[in-house]
Amino acid sequence: MVKRLQQGDAAACEAVIRAHHRFLVAMATPLVGQGLADDVAQETWLKAFAAIKGFEGRSRLRTWLARIALNEAHALLRQYKREVSLEGWGVDSGSPIASSFSDKGTWSHPPAQWHHDSPEALLTEAELHECIRKHLHRLPGDQRSVVLMRELGGLEFAEIARATGLSEGNVRVLLHRGRQRMHAMLNHFEEVGTC
Amino acid sequence: MLTCKEMSELGSDIIDRHLGLRTRMAVFMHLRMCWRCRRYIKQLRLTSQVLQQLPLDWEPVDTAAILDKVRKHAE
Repeated sequence: MVKRLQQGDAAACEAVIRAHHRFLVAMATPLVGQGLADDVAQETWLKAFAAIKGFEGRSRLRTWLARIALNEAHALLRQYKREVSLEGWGVDSGSPIASSFSDKGTWSHPPAQWHHDSPEALLTEAELHECIRKHLHRLPGDQRSVVLMRELGGLEFAEIARATGLSEGNVRVLLHRGRQRMHAMLNHFEEVGTC
Repeated sequence: MLTCKEMSELGSDIIDRHLGLRTRMAVFMHLRMCWRCRRYIKQLRLTSQVLQQLPLDWEPVDTAAILDKVRKHAE
């Protein structure tokens, strides 16, 4: 795919936009606001296609795009002399599975046995894609952003901390809470068979 | 000795290998004895992998309009 992009193959360009554009907008939205997130994504494509020949594949393509998008988000905020308030971000909402434990801290409701034991097997369930998307959207904004940047975008903790103004420790806690909520969703899906 | 609840709180540090030596030993000892925590940590890792591999072509995107702007910018 990267080779075809570097050769300017139009179909490859369309495919890569289709695969990553929504992610770039979703990642940029909390950082610059809804109105500018589309501009960030568009600017990212301008920069990315201009620089694709220099892409050496040291990171995933999506991670490379996410890094460009973060730079563009900061550039646009500077240009418009705007700051986006991330007030309330990084406050730990507590464990979403606290009620699964007894007073002594042992499991009272352990996770169910899952039918699927690999990500590939889980992702063959078409219904699950929609379910994951729905639950990602339901995550608190700070957890959703960190999950998007880290899991879907592959960014480093230090990069996420810089982008959000949070400490790396905060970022790790938010990621854990987001993963725990998404695990609870998958556990329900495996147990009941529906979202 | 770590409790299962404490293990669940360490879940992401365990799968991201972000533990100091002493905690790593305590986690290792707990996991040897507790199938429930082994299952939870395994599933949390799987959750993370599913998110990493999730396809993102959810909604239609006006690729032609985006590419048009890219081309105009390049000219």
